[in-house]
Amino acid sequence: MANAATNVALRPDELQRIAEKLGREPTVVELHAFDAQWSEHCSYKSSRHHLKNLPTTGPSVILGPAEDSGILYIGDHNGERYGVVIAHESHNHPSQVVPFEGAATGIGGIVRDVVCMGAEVIAVADPLRFGRVEDPSSHQRYVAQGAVDGISAYGNAIGVPNIAGDVYFDERFDDNCLVNVVAMGLVKESEIIHSYAPKDANGWDIVLVGKATDPSGFGGASFSSLTLDAADEESNKGAVQVPDPFLKNVLMRASYRVFAYLRERKLTVGFKDLGAGGIMGCSAEICSAGGYGATIDLDAVNLAVENLKPEVIAIGETQERLIWVLPPEITADVLRIYNDEYTLPEIAHNARAVVIGKVTSDPRYVLRYRGETVMDVDIEFLTGSIRDELPYTQPQVPPGAGERPLVTGVQLDELLERVLGHRDVCSREYLYRRYDGVVRGCTVLERGAGDAGVLAPVPGSPLGVALAVAGNPRFAKLDPQLAAEHAVYEAVRAVVAVGGRPVGLTDCLNFGNPRKPDHLGEFVVAIDGLARAAAAFGTPYVSGNVSLYNESAGGKAIPASPIVACVGAFDDVSRVVTMPFKAAGSILYFIGRPQAALGGSVLLDELGRHESVLPRIDYDLVRAQHALMARAADANLLRASHKLGNGGLLVALCEMAFPTLRRGHAPIGVQLDEPWQWTHGAVGDLEALFAETGGFVVEVAANDVEAFEGFADDVEGVWEIGVTIDRPVLAVDTEAFDLHRLRDVWSAPLREVYP
Amino acid sequence: MSKRIAVLVFPGTNSEEETVRLLRACGGDAHLVHWSHGKLLPGFDAYVLPGGFAYEDRIRAGAIAAHDEMMDYVIEGARAGKLVYGICNGAQILLEAGLVPGTGEVRRPTAAFTRNGPVPHFINTHVWLKLAVDPQRSPMLRGLERDALIPAWASHGEGRLAASEAELRALREGGHVAFVYAHADGSVDDTAIPNQAALGCAALVNREGNVLAMMPHPERDGWTFNHPDRRRGNAILEPSGGAVFFRSFVQAVNA
Repeated sequence: MANAATNVALRPDELQRIAEKLGREPTVVELHAFDAQWSEHCSYKSSRHHLKNLPTTGPSVILGPAEDSGILYIGDHNGERYGVVIAHESHNHPSQVVPFEGAATGIGGIVRDVVCMGAEVIAVADPLRFGRVEDPSSHQRYVAQGAVDGISAYGNAIGVPNIAGDVYFDERFDDNCLVNVVAMGLVKESEIIHSYAPKDANGWDIVLVGKATDPSGFGGASFSSLTLDAADEESNKGAVQVPDPFLKNVLMRASYRVFAYLRERKLTVGFKDLGAGGIMGCSAEICSAGGYGATIDLDAVNLAVENLKPEVIAIGETQERLIWVLPPEITADVLRIYNDEYTLPEIAHNARAVVIGKVTSDPRYVLRYRGETVMDVDIEFLTGSIRDELPYTQPQVPPGAGERPLVTGVQLDELLERVLGHRDVCSREYLYRRYDGVVRGCTVLERGAGDAGVLAPVPGSPLGVALAVAGNPRFAKLDPQLAAEHAVYEAVRAVVAVGGRPVGLTDCLNFGNPRKPDHLGEFVVAIDGLARAAAAFGTPYVSGNVSLYNESAGGKAIPASPIVACVGAFDDVSRVVTMPFKAAGSILYFIGRPQAALGGSVLLDELGRHESVLPRIDYDLVRAQHALMARAADANLLRASHKLGNGGLLVALCEMAFPTLRRGHAPIGVQLDEPWQWTHGAVGDLEALFAETGGFVVEVAANDVEAFEGFADDVEGVWEIGVTIDRPVLAVDTEAFDLHRLRDVWSAPLREVYP
Repeated sequence: MSKRIAVLVFPGTNSEEETVRLLRACGGDAHLVHWSHGKLLPGFDAYVLPGGFAYEDRIRAGAIAAHDEMMDYVIEGARAGKLVYGICNGAQILLEAGLVPGTGEVRRPTAAFTRNGPVPHFINTHVWLKLAVDPQRSPMLRGLERDALIPAWASHGEGRLAASEAELRALREGGHVAFVYAHADGSVDDTAIPNQAALGCAALVNREGNVLAMMPHPERDGWTFNHPDRRRGNAILEPSGGAVFFRSFVQAVNA
């Protein structure tokens, strides 16, 4: 709840701490500055000490989670080490209020986090969680459509392909949607630009570049650290920023030109995105991270409208802005690139690059406005870590029911159709085809072609990069810790399914109110789960984000939502494996472990039952299976592969068959053996066909079977389950289902939401 | 000496790098020419207008860019017989500039690529383009087989060809419809058209055959790695697929 007297979210004890440190009452500007910097959004005050449990180091880490983005090593080309820059954020609160602008600025912000590392942006991804969208006139439908349109409009215009994402719909997202965004960039290790003022930068120029500062987005940082109150919706809208992808398109290209200029001169400078806390937050952090102070002249800032208050200029979150720290001798050249060559002032009203201040050796953060000092504080005190130790309780995971689900009177075809048409399973094509997935011309696997998006991002090189996201709210409702492990397992599995080598992770932790011990408890155990799974797979986290207070005024919180993105690498992207079946007469294998664990499955959700046992992850077994997948992909033995996910085995088989039904292609179907023939009765048939235990389905050509089985010899959990056939049917033993009909059932639901 | 191709960059263009890259791989001496350097354009032998959202697609896609100073040079070059090829937003600009189909006056468009139908949303979908005229119709098409089928991506919100009935008849009868949308097996019907374009039209050519406006992007399916399911062997770094058209274009420029 905002403090009514000051209109800031700082608590009385925090206000007192500030006054004691300053030895006086803070100025209005200082009050708003601390409000932003000490918000959960910027300070991670109630989360940082839990996050330290996540593994963040490893041989693939070029840069861990310390700056605006992390960097993972993917391979060499022409004697240069290449890295992918990866960042992951949420724009949940703004998207719930004004979905188009909220989601668009989510993409805009995450792209800047990647650009400022000296990288070219090569991809974005969008894990989304929406409420119930069945009612066309509901706010939830408006949010689900507006957010997707905002992501589409922004990403398409700046020319960055959207190659991965997922979407879930659940009533517990009715009042708090989740719009998470991931951006990926490409950089040579030798050309990384850091988010801090470098050595010997005393006296250097602080240059602001981009959109003219306006009153939009004032109070954004603390807004996103409060719970949403419907009554405040109108005033909250003012805290949301306004996107300008047209300006961003030019700003990115101009920045790439500056990168080339810096390369030619082998100069080390600082570059950082303006996000929460605006000019103040960015300039204070870039200088403080280098051990400096800063003096900023707010009168030098290019404004969109006259007579803005100093706190609005300093702290407002106008989009499309970045800050450089530059040696004065090159400042004029950099300004010329932005203002003259790329004509920023002609692209958007009063957009430009301007010098707004100096780096100082005195560790003070000083703001001047119309001849007066409106802020003068110890920069370390402003940007240093603060910590709230909040109490939490261990979430209760209901004990397993322990009994087999009894499903009687429902035929397999009806079950399969209901699962295929479920909101978490049905085709996402109507959503993602609004996104440009192929601009830049280096897309290898676009959305729908495989479990992960894949790019060949380095011209002239066979290096490849994969990207996938995961996080299952049905699982999280039952067990936040195991669900977090599954999020990692699923994202890693998606990369393995396309033949990639998982190299690292990002996480976006979307949770409820940390001041409620049960909500914070979910957060704490989810981090334990994320840490455990990442350690098991050897995939460290290099960047991430925390979004708390995803709770409505009525106290209704979202399900625990640890959302994970996994980056994969290919030394040779020609080893990529796609999802569609390639030919009739191939042998199908299930690589996984059947478990009597339907908890969290779409099948039980569809039947309105809630068994509590989630599938467990046997990491030793899974690692051996992933190693088998890698060897088989390297040896070119996998014609097609697909991970098991929502809906389980039959859904995976259908999704491999559906693309072959397209006009001009030869349809390929499946003849599946009766499950007991390969499970040997270890689990029931429904569990074998619908449990969401993980693993893969792979297609192997008949004459590669010997080689494949040779590799699989000492790997547990490889089951021959059937063959591909030249008819458009899915046959389970003697029951045959028409794939055209199943495809129609699977295609229909989201067509209405995204026509 | 090979001829020089300018790839124009307007504010908001977003497909310039991959367009230059594929033109070069197909033997073209291609260079980016940025809006601040438009005065260099007369020194080039051919012009390619790549995809994007020039001037934010304000008013209509291509409408503002058609009046950019850079287009003065392109119009002048087209009149002098230089080859001009526009992709997606570049195609929209050529229509707005009146260069294609070229049945009216300059900058008085007689046809437009406009809001997709039936739903006016951006779509990103793989398509096949079928050559709908004789390869001799334009120098840019001479490197193609009759009925050639070219893979590409339709990635646009405004790609539906629209014009008056009389103009559509003139386009059909005048052999202006260079490519139509088709299925993977070359068959043609309404379900192959992703945006309800009149005449199933994916690309228009002017009367003289030196200016061609193509809505889908062949450069986004122009390398073997772009279509792993159609690859033969492991030469993934070779131009293929949509590069067939780029090669034909470059041959015409260098001829």
